[in-house]
Amino acid sequence: MAVLQGRLRGMRSAMSKREAAGDVFAADNEVGSDLAAVDWQSTPLGEPAGWPQSLQTAVSILLSSRFPMWMAWGPRLTFFCNAAYRRDTLGRKYPWALGRPASEVWAEIWDDIGPRIDTVLSTGEATWDEALLLFLERSGYPEESYHTFSYSPLRDDDGALVGMLCVVSEDTERVIGERRMATLRDLGSDPSVIRTEQEMLTFAGHQLSRNLRDLPFTLTYLFADDGVARLVAATGISAEHPAAGANWPVAALAGGESVVVPLDGPPFIGLPSGDFAEPPTQALAVPLLRQGGTPYGFLVAGLNRYRPLDDGYRGFVELTAGHVSAGVASARSYQAQQRRAEELAELDRAKTAFFSNISHEFRTPLTLIMGPLDELRTRLGDADAWVHEELEVIHRNGLRLGKLVNTLLDFSRIEAGRMQAHFEPVDLAATTAELASVFRSAVERSGLRFEVDCPELPEPVYVDRGLWEKVILNLLSNALKFTFDGAIRVTVRHEPGHAVVTVADTGIGIPEQEMPRLFERFHRIENARSRSNEGSGIGLALVEELVGLHSGTIGANSTEGEGTTFTIRLPFGSGHLPAGALAAPAQTTAVSANADPFLQEALRWLPAEPQTSEEPPPVTVTRTAPATVLVADDNADMRDYLTRLLRSAGHRVTAVSDGKAALDAARAGVPDLIVSDVMMPRLDGLQLVSALRADPRTAGTPVLLLSARAGQEASIEGLDAGADDYLVKPFSAAELLARVRANVELARLRNHHVRWRTALIDSLQEAFFVCDEDGAVIEINTAFTEILGYGPEGLPYAPVHPWWPDPDSDADAHRAVAAAFEQLLGQPYGTYTVPVNHRDGRRLWAAAAFNQVRDPDSGRRVIVGTFRDVTAEHYAVQRDSALAAVGLRLSQAEDLGDALSGVLHEVRKQWQANHVLAAVFNGSATPAVTSTDSVLSWENLSEERRAEITGLRDRPPLAPATGTGITLEHPHGTMALWIDLDDHRPFTTEDQTLLALLAGHISQGLHRIHQIDQQRETALALQRAILGPAHLPAGFAARYEPASRPLRVGGDWYDIIPLDDGRIGIVVGDCVGHGLRSATVMGQLRSACRALLLQDSSPAMTLMALDRFAAQLPGAGCATVFCGVLDPGTGHLVYSSAGHPPAIAGHPDGSTHLLDQGRSRPVAIRPGLPRSEAEYTVPGRATLMLYTDGLVERRRQALTVGIGDASAAVRHGLRTNIEDLATEIMDRLAPDGGYDDDVALLLYRHPGPLELDFPAEAGRLSSVRRTLRGWLDRCDLNPTMVQNVLVAAGEACANAIEHGHREHPGGRIHLRAAATAADLRLTVADSGRWKTPDAAANPYRGRGLKLMQAFMNAVTVTPGRTGTVVDMQARITP
Amino acid sequence: MTTALSLTSGSRPDGAPVLTVAGEIDMSNAAEFAAALSDAVARAGDAAVVVDLTGVEYLDSAGLAALFAQADRLQVVTGPLLAPLLEVSGLAELTAIHRA
Repeated sequence: MAVLQGRLRGMRSAMSKREAAGDVFAADNEVGSDLAAVDWQSTPLGEPAGWPQSLQTAVSILLSSRFPMWMAWGPRLTFFCNAAYRRDTLGRKYPWALGRPASEVWAEIWDDIGPRIDTVLSTGEATWDEALLLFLERSGYPEESYHTFSYSPLRDDDGALVGMLCVVSEDTERVIGERRMATLRDLGSDPSVIRTEQEMLTFAGHQLSRNLRDLPFTLTYLFADDGVARLVAATGISAEHPAAGANWPVAALAGGESVVVPLDGPPFIGLPSGDFAEPPTQALAVPLLRQGGTPYGFLVAGLNRYRPLDDGYRGFVELTAGHVSAGVASARSYQAQQRRAEELAELDRAKTAFFSNISHEFRTPLTLIMGPLDELRTRLGDADAWVHEELEVIHRNGLRLGKLVNTLLDFSRIEAGRMQAHFEPVDLAATTAELASVFRSAVERSGLRFEVDCPELPEPVYVDRGLWEKVILNLLSNALKFTFDGAIRVTVRHEPGHAVVTVADTGIGIPEQEMPRLFERFHRIENARSRSNEGSGIGLALVEELVGLHSGTIGANSTEGEGTTFTIRLPFGSGHLPAGALAAPAQTTAVSANADPFLQEALRWLPAEPQTSEEPPPVTVTRTAPATVLVADDNADMRDYLTRLLRSAGHRVTAVSDGKAALDAARAGVPDLIVSDVMMPRLDGLQLVSALRADPRTAGTPVLLLSARAGQEASIEGLDAGADDYLVKPFSAAELLARVRANVELARLRNHHVRWRTALIDSLQEAFFVCDEDGAVIEINTAFTEILGYGPEGLPYAPVHPWWPDPDSDADAHRAVAAAFEQLLGQPYGTYTVPVNHRDGRRLWAAAAFNQVRDPDSGRRVIVGTFRDVTAEHYAVQRDSALAAVGLRLSQAEDLGDALSGVLHEVRKQWQANHVLAAVFNGSATPAVTSTDSVLSWENLSEERRAEITGLRDRPPLAPATGTGITLEHPHGTMALWIDLDDHRPFTTEDQTLLALLAGHISQGLHRIHQIDQQRETALALQRAILGPAHLPAGFAARYEPASRPLRVGGDWYDIIPLDDGRIGIVVGDCVGHGLRSATVMGQLRSACRALLLQDSSPAMTLMALDRFAAQLPGAGCATVFCGVLDPGTGHLVYSSAGHPPAIAGHPDGSTHLLDQGRSRPVAIRPGLPRSEAEYTVPGRATLMLYTDGLVERRRQALTVGIGDASAAVRHGLRTNIEDLATEIMDRLAPDGGYDDDVALLLYRHPGPLELDFPAEAGRLSSVRRTLRGWLDRCDLNPTMVQNVLVAAGEACANAIEHGHREHPGGRIHLRAAATAADLRLTVADSGRWKTPDAAANPYRGRGLKLMQAFMNAVTVTPGRTGTVVDMQARITP
Repeated sequence: MTTALSLTSGSRPDGAPVLTVAGEIDMSNAAEFAAALSDAVARAGDAAVVVDLTGVEYLDSAGLAALFAQADRLQVVTGPLLAPLLEVSGLAELTAIHRA
């Protein structure tokens, strides 16, 4: 306030001029105008204009401040305030309050503030009040409100104290909010300590009564079971006050609604007022809500009359009620739990008492059994093995029962606190080792290692020997029961203050979730694998109790599948034990009789001694035929007892120790009857019955269940599962035997035909099977198992059956089986042969036949089938057909390459391979590759594949194949044969055998073909070498064709011999036979003939000389020869034929002529006899054909027919040029599939083409013309045509000289003329450049081309870089 | 070696000048033939020269050119051998051709 005072003083002079303007209220329009409206004249301050400067300044500051402020000035403390104060505090008193005396404005609180103002005005010191409670009447009622404010003095211009300024802030919301929050917080504090409903209500009441401002009084009601609301708590009000019995709106509250209740009149007279002066005028009743149910009750809260019932207030009351109802809920739930726990404890006590009593009751008869029994054992022990055995059974089980009773008794003693323990100082290590040794024989007999490691301890441990024995024996018994391999280990160790004993095993371990309940009484771990299903679940619980009696602890560590370790800690010394329970150390350390029952029991879990099951059956007369009985019981004594009993009745007995073993045994060999216990490890009796019934083979086998569980329900459960009979333990021997007999006989009657059928089916040599509608194999016979390896134990075999080939690696086979299977399901009957896999993986082929039939029992459709193993046949057929195919390919091959590619295709077909490849390592850098895939070459094979193939090279040929490759000998070198199969397609042993077999055949075949190839190639080379001249004179064409299939060389030849006089010798001959020998004979005859003709040009003389020559040449006899001498200028031919087919002449007019004169015997038939000659002149443009008989000779056809065909071929080709004609005739006359015999063909067309080559000089033209004229004359053309051709040729030549060579002299011109029967062809070629005639430059030269075109039918001029060719053709008209 | 050609000038009984040609006419001797033709035409004055080609065995376009050069001053006598040539060449359109 000092600061404000300073500011006021400092501003005074600065503001004085503005205030003089007269508007002292200008700082705030609204409050200012209201201030201006005040009748100031009637106040002690007078008109504002006359106000002292200090007042004006103070008012101005007041109005301009946003902080709530009021001030009082002058003798009557005239009231001013600003807008903020008006809003927050003044309320309805505005504007009435302006200009009034402050004592009037704040009359209701003047008692509070008056003294404070007096203090300020008298002392000039400011006051400070924080959160002062003031009841303001600003809202029409006295309102509880809280304010923090300061009064500071105001002085006039002379410095006298004339007024005060109040700066105020209102705290009402904060104060009330905090108060309510505190109540809620206290209500929620530490509810855990509250146990009962009453405690909770008391606690809540205490908290509520601490806030009498918000809750002047409360009444809490709870609904009782009858729905009536009962007051259970009251705060701020007496429970006896009439209001407690008020008629609250219970229905609405029970429905969950809150209700505001006015508190008028009775019974609300004289209500307490809480912390205030006046009592509440209304109350809020809120339900105590219960989650998911009708409210627990309701809370009535008297409401603070000085606060409005706004959302905040209502929320507070409801939250308060929420706390109360949560408390009720928690208390009630706790009570319910408490009650349950007490009930359970009571139950437990009752049970313990029961066990205690009953155990005692057991002990008496037990004693009376065991006592006389021991007597009997002593007296009869060595009398009779049978009796002895029975007595031992009684003894063992008596011990067992006694042990169980004792354990129960121990428990009840501990429970009742009556266990009389006598703790004596004991060498714990020695005692424990001693106890453990009792179990050594049993542990070692079970095949486990037994490790006892008990070094001496530094001091004795106080234990009760009897109890300690029970601890150790129980743990060891437990370890043995759940351990199947490994070791059991007992150790004793010293730790500071404790002895530590551990019993560890490597058994099945304990599941983690079972660990917390490990030591709980009667808790057994379900489905644990154990040596016996016997056990009460009490052993470990007792151990824990006993260790606890010693003030020790026991804990367990276990990992499932690895083992369990129990660790016991016992404190040294005796301080922890009750003094009265201590005893002196006993002299003996011997193990008491306690151990015997444990050991006897454990020994019975172990595999039976062999003699018990192999005992020969005693001879006993029975009325029923002996049956095979399968006994399943996990109790060895019971098993042995049943076995003995049933054997005594003459039955063949097999005994097993659990349900799974029973099921396996029953499936392996179906017994007549199964006698089974219900409670067994692995598979219990009920599950066994279900499994048996589900299997068609054992579905009819009677099952007699034995159980210790009495009562109709258990019996019904067993029969429901499908058991035939149910017997409750204990039972008499006679009863069991009677039931067995009845069941066996009944089953025999029932199953008679089934047995007969089974025997019949099993006697079948073929595999037999029955499928259900879905294709699952439900029955099979012995042969089925023998063939496929799948036995009846796996039935039913649902599709896809396990013998199907793999769909991925063996897709084709899988598809085949799938198709057959579809047929099986879809067709009424049928047969198929399919590949299947034996259980051992072997590939089999099975030929099956099937029929659909209707099952008379079920009415369902089933499929009955048989099959046999046709694997051997299948592979034999496959092998034979593959060999035949390869053989055919080899025999049809024309050469080695053809053969190889043929067999590769066969191999590919055999295995449906992607491709087959042969690589021949013939010494060159890369092997020669042949493949069914023509794009494959060595270069584009993968590196890996190349390595594999190269690897094959180094394997011995035809070694049994290891993969899909094999090595064999190719004539050109080692050959690797590689089959590229689809991925995963199996290549079986059979495949490998077949491949090796094929490879052998291929290798042989290739070598045979190679030999033939070589012979043939040699002969061909020879024959071609000696056949005839490489270059024929003009006008001749020749062909030689070896026989095509099989490719064979022969003895045919032709020869053309230019003679000295310009004539030409022509020879065509044919030696007898084929092959190399015949070819060599031919060569000699040909040479001889040539030599003879050169010496004497007479064909007849030549042939006669040849006769003599051939007579001395083996194999030359009977050769036929046509020998002629031709004058090419005239066409004159002299000829003689030694038994050779006639030559054919084709005339231009289309007629043909046979040169069949001058004929006589073949060569060397009658050497020395003369031969005749004939003459013939070949007309111009005629075609002469000489040939050997291969061209015309056909089987079953006269030679004349063939000659006629040949004549026709010549006739047809008269217009064809001679070289093309030779090809045409060979093609035309070739039979389908080629010539059977070799053929020699010689054609001559008269005259032969004219070829002239001369210098491009005009002076040469004359002689060229002369030569051409002579040739044209030989062509037998009419004079006009001769003249025309001469002119055309002359013009072409002239042009060549004129245009081609005028500027480049020295060139040459080539002229060629050739004729056929119908046309003539002239070619003039020069080495110059043709000039297109330029008519303007030389009008006459253009005529040359014109003339050519006029006289010839076609003229083509082809200019080129090396010269110009003029090609002219003319048709010849007769 | 030049082509054999004989050229003989004379007159017909009616006094018409005659050039009798025998042998072959090709580019090697066409100039000679042309000169003889010119000479005969010059000597004949207004009269047409009769060129007797009956004895010509070969005549090519060079010879034809010589004939065409004097075509309107000539009459040609020919045998069957050259007749087609003279016809084809178009000389017959300009010159009277007589068959011998």
